[in-house]
Amino acid sequence: MKRTLCLSSVFALSALVLGCGFESEPEPAAGGEVRFISGSAIKTLDPQVTSWLVDFRIIEGLFEPLLRVNPETLELEPSAAAALPKVSDDGLIYTFTIREDARWSNGDPLLASDFAYGWMRALLPDLAADYAALFFTIEGAEDFYSWRTQRLADFQNLGISADEFWAQTRQRFADTVGIEPIDDRTLRVTLAQPTAYFNELVAFAPFSPVHEATADAYLEAEATAGGLNMDPVYFQRPDLLVSNGPYLLKQWRFKQQLVLDQNPYWWNRAEMGNTRVVMQVVTDPTAALLRYNRGEADWYPGLPTGSRDAAKLVQSDRPDVHYGPAAGTYFYVFNCRPTVDGQANPFADPRVRRAFSMAVDRQTLVDNVTQLGQPVAKTFVPPAAIPGYDAPVDAGVSFDPEAARQLLADAGYPSGQGLSGLTLLINEGGGHEDPAQFIRKAWETHLGVSVQIESVERITFSDRLKTGGFQVARAGWFGDYRDPTTFHDKFRSNNNNNDGLYQNPAYDRLLERAEAELDPAARMALLAEAEALMLAEQPLMPLYHYTNLELFDPGRVTGLHPNPWNIRRLDAITVRPAPGSSLGNAPNSE
Amino acid sequence: MLQLILARLIQLPLILLVVFGVTFTLVWLLPGNPLDRPDGRRPPPEVEQAMKARYNLDSPTNFLIGYARGAVVGDFGPSLEYRGRTVRSILAEGLPISASLGVAALAVALFLGTVAGVVGALRPGSPLDSASLGLTLLGISLPNFVTGTVLLVVFAGLLRWFPVGGWASPRDMVLPAVTLGLAPAAYIARLIRLGLADIMASDYLRTARAKGLSHTKALFKHALKVAYLPVLSFLGPAAASVMTGSFVVEKVFNIPGVGEYFVNSVLNKDQFLILGIVLVYATMLIVFNLVVDVAYAWLDPRIEL
Repeated sequence: MKRTLCLSSVFALSALVLGCGFESEPEPAAGGEVRFISGSAIKTLDPQVTSWLVDFRIIEGLFEPLLRVNPETLELEPSAAAALPKVSDDGLIYTFTIREDARWSNGDPLLASDFAYGWMRALLPDLAADYAALFFTIEGAEDFYSWRTQRLADFQNLGISADEFWAQTRQRFADTVGIEPIDDRTLRVTLAQPTAYFNELVAFAPFSPVHEATADAYLEAEATAGGLNMDPVYFQRPDLLVSNGPYLLKQWRFKQQLVLDQNPYWWNRAEMGNTRVVMQVVTDPTAALLRYNRGEADWYPGLPTGSRDAAKLVQSDRPDVHYGPAAGTYFYVFNCRPTVDGQANPFADPRVRRAFSMAVDRQTLVDNVTQLGQPVAKTFVPPAAIPGYDAPVDAGVSFDPEAARQLLADAGYPSGQGLSGLTLLINEGGGHEDPAQFIRKAWETHLGVSVQIESVERITFSDRLKTGGFQVARAGWFGDYRDPTTFHDKFRSNNNNNDGLYQNPAYDRLLERAEAELDPAARMALLAEAEALMLAEQPLMPLYHYTNLELFDPGRVTGLHPNPWNIRRLDAITVRPAPGSSLGNAPNSE
Repeated sequence: MLQLILARLIQLPLILLVVFGVTFTLVWLLPGNPLDRPDGRRPPPEVEQAMKARYNLDSPTNFLIGYARGAVVGDFGPSLEYRGRTVRSILAEGLPISASLGVAALAVALFLGTVAGVVGALRPGSPLDSASLGLTLLGISLPNFVTGTVLLVVFAGLLRWFPVGGWASPRDMVLPAVTLGLAPAAYIARLIRLGLADIMASDYLRTARAKGLSHTKALFKHALKVAYLPVLSFLGPAAASVMTGSFVVEKVFNIPGVGEYFVNSVLNKDQFLILGIVLVYATMLIVFNLVVDVAYAWLDPRIEL
């Protein structure tokens, strides 16, 4: 027994010694702090590489692009730029002037070349940026990307060293890509073709600058393969990372906590609502809610709507529950290919797709199945999400079992006869099971068609979508930037995200006409026409528009303006001390 | 003994090579592209091709060559999920956390298991024995996520004795260590209880009792040590498994350990991370089994190595 006790205490002691993961908290901030919960860990703070919403939330505090969207008015406004850009009459040349007082967190002035450097990083195939394609709107960008990709693959035969190759690449970028720092404070961008939403892109985090003078030292050309390696420490360590936004990186404990402190050189620091932002990572929604309810966090954005607690919160009348539409759509995609796995595909016929879509009562789905009352979707682009765009709601289908049966009969399948062995593909997790069961039942009841649900792992699922190995599959889409084309492009004939391979030359032509149209209103009208045309053929079956659920007490937390695009500015948030707390917003635990 | 340790250490890289070969093959057979986003968004083909080339995912030979080249200098590649972090840094940050939690859980398991086992053996058939049997049954049958959630809700949510998860102070260790230690505690209790019953009925203990040794003294002084032998062989693999973290416990208590990677790296097809975590686990399993063998000899002089 003594030995057991002895052994146990040895174990317990060594556990404490080993527990070196414990780190001290930074000194309290003087100007107020905001503590919020993130449902997942930050993957990377490299603004050009990532495409994750949780990463962008922090990156937007660290880096400031030339423009930004005001979360309250949802208007574009200059941020690192002194004013909105001058645009040439043909819509091709954008000239940005950087504000005079823009500084990096080490005191250096913000240069036009820092933007050119950051944007070039997105176009280096070896850095594997998720959003590289957004930069292809710029003249010469796509060619530059392919040029380097090809030369990388063929590096052994080039007969030059990795460093020479890198120097060559930089020269080519300067010579051929339409991103030119004219002087220290002027950046001229030439587009490949008029892009009505280019300013929206410029306000997006991947278009942030990177401090060339410090970052470039961490970019190393690999001698054997010729590719570049960015040493990850630069975007990880507070002592290395130089930022130009309202904040600088103070502490990052991977998968635990990330602290941002005020950037002493930020031009608008006098207006900041806080001087510190603390992000706590809590992946389990129940634990996260417990923590929020205990007052250990002021704000819980992005509460997963698939979690058990979500429906209860939405139905409650708690004033701190903020629930509203998001710029995304949940839908089922039909495979439009003539054959699937060698078998004739009934969904190649638009009438069959319409019939299946008309047989589903979306209102019951959101009321009783998801229980979240999401806005029922008739269109692919969420209505009212994009200023100036009038989504063609009337072109969408409504629940009408009678007409659905008639359509199916017209297509040669009276009472569903001849339709057998159909499957609906969904992925495991994420709460797709219940809606799928509801829809399967609706098809059986209203169309007399029995469909099997096939549930697969997420990664298998995306593989099946890509290769067209499905008949009907669950899908979802969020807009990247505030222009309808972020949705429309998905159904273009040659788009690589067009999973069902819907091909309609008339639709493609309308999108091309919209590209060339310089008048914003006429352009939006063309895009609405295109969507109506597409909806008539239902390559997708829109179910509902996604929603955002977040928690914060509006009496204490100000400066947050929930909106469909999750646009916010961390620096605008102010937290008033909790009642009964003498220490600012210290946790009100006992 | 020294010879055995040496021989085992020489075997280690060979076993690891086999483990690596099997894992590598399985990983390549997994469907899907790890660079796909979970929301189904795919970059244009040229970007996808460039990204695959960047991470040597375009061919198994390229991958193997790249991996071997890195592994020699201790670089186990990048994580495809946590882009910009290396597998080495991810494991270096998470492993000490999981290991310390595992050691704490073992302490809980040993203590609770021994107490419950001995109490049962002291008075076989008594209500105490039944209680300890019932408790161990509960410990084995209840899954971690139930015990963990109940402990969290009661002790952190209602009573507020402990924080709601996280990893900021030693107080954060208590609830997860208890959760993680309960199942091994139950095994240990059963092993000790059965072992003690056998040994107490053996000839040499009967002789000792006949010579006037009290029941309690015989139990603690002579029997317990022998009863520990099966516990020891259980402890080796148990230590390797609790020290490399638990997906469930780390999720419930929000602990930034490596347990989640056993599940998530496979779901995300994060090839480098899968290989890294499997190799770490295999190494620990081999080392702990060796430690157990050595400890055997120390506890029971009849065993020769």
